[in-house]
Amino acid sequence: MSAEVMVMLLADARLPTGAHTQSAGLEAALRAGMPPADVPSYIRARLLTVTAVEAGAAVVARHRTLDAAARTGGDQAAADLAVADLASALSEVDAAWVARTVSPALRETSVLLGRGYLRLISRLWPGSAGATAVAAIRRPGRAVAVGVAAALAGLTAEQLVRLVAYDDVQTVAAATLKIEPLDPVVATGWVVAAADEIERMVGNLAQLTALDEIPAFGAPQIEQWAEIHSVTSQRLFRA
Amino acid sequence: MPDSVTESLPASSTITQAASDDGARRTLRLGVAGPVGTGKSSLIALICRELADELSLGVITNDIYTDEDARFLRSAGVLDPERIRAVETGACPHTAIRDDVTANLLAVEDLEADFAPLDVVLVESGGDNLTATFSPALVDAQIFVLDVAGGGDVARKGGPGIGRADLLVVNKTDLGPYVGVDVPQMVADGRAARDGRPVIGLSRLDRASIDQLTGWVRGVLTSFRSGGHVAVDPGPMAPHSHAEAGGAAHFHRHAGGDEDHVHGPAGAA
Repeated sequence: MSAEVMVMLLADARLPTGAHTQSAGLEAALRAGMPPADVPSYIRARLLTVTAVEAGAAVVARHRTLDAAARTGGDQAAADLAVADLASALSEVDAAWVARTVSPALRETSVLLGRGYLRLISRLWPGSAGATAVAAIRRPGRAVAVGVAAALAGLTAEQLVRLVAYDDVQTVAAATLKIEPLDPVVATGWVVAAADEIERMVGNLAQLTALDEIPAFGAPQIEQWAEIHSVTSQRLFRA
Repeated sequence: MPDSVTESLPASSTITQAASDDGARRTLRLGVAGPVGTGKSSLIALICRELADELSLGVITNDIYTDEDARFLRSAGVLDPERIRAVETGACPHTAIRDDVTANLLAVEDLEADFAPLDVVLVESGGDNLTATFSPALVDAQIFVLDVAGGGDVARKGGPGIGRADLLVVNKTDLGPYVGVDVPQMVADGRAARDGRPVIGLSRLDRASIDQLTGWVRGVLTSFRSGGHVAVDPGPMAPHSHAEAGGAAHFHRHAGGDEDHVHGPAGAA
């Protein structure tokens, strides 16, 4: 299985996880009066805050999944124990992500997206330690789900950070075209412009292995907008 | 902290299998598709009003830019509002019922888990156009809704939903005289396009037509539970013909996989 193909697969908008229902908070931001010209700044603000938290948690979840997989080579009892330990280890990562994500609306959105990934994981890697362990966790957020998917798909930690960051940027850029239409090449240019910031994230986050290394950067404005959007009656995007 | 988060969410956390894999499921997932304004929400309200005493029902709506349909259904008072949930489709109503049904499947699974045992979950598509149909990965059967006010020629024009949905409803038949549409002709056009599949001319003022509709729903549910019902994909495209080199045209459809063929010069196929 080529990791390059798998990272493209996981980054593809056609991946069936329900991501087309998402704007990464962009709809809420524009509705609150953020000028469309500020979208590139919005993208950067997300990368530096909520997206860094998610990517960091995903990296630690991937690390723990690989760690457990290395221990499942023995007899059945040892393998079962490794799966149980992994479920517990992934729960801790999820709790760490929850503790860093103040807005209930952001958490709920992440859980919904996480379920889309869990569907993928259970079908693409049935019976694997990662699939079994993550299925045993109560409603994990997207960070843990995508971290486990990355481990099973053979992605490096660097590829995983890049995936999480790129996905977030593309979600914002694509959603802008639905809400404030403009030449789509302009929106694509925003993604290209974010590439350096994405690589900085890769450098900062890919080596994380411990819970307390996961960034804890809040974005109160983004969280406030998410809360408002969650109770708005007329929405184009779920979040 | 994690507990306080999860407690505010629906109770269901398991990932169930998709429709096609889950032979033991007893809840019929019934899609309702059709163009904007043909009366999908009203038809669902009608089914709820008629059957809520006899069947345990749930509804998922797919609005394009609003939760109007979910609010309409809740305010209709025909079903516990908790049993009616909206799915936002990110302006992609087609995608949400066909190529990536994930958001809808999750909503259906939640509803089924929260109100188990449900008999029928009705999934209303975002009002779109004549080509939008449900994937069998999301629903077990589907109703396609047209209305007489939308034009008497629409049924004749055909399309995947008109031709091959499990049921075609020609709605608002009581409006025929006011919009200059020959209702029996429109229903006959629908039958002609459907190769024997059922068509109901429906009006909320016509008791017999309502009984036909509820009878059809009961029949599909019975058939589904006995294993006799097979989910059918109406397909994304209407049947069409290709003129071939020899002058002969062949007539086929692309969906369903039972008519594999190659497009190309005669002799190549």
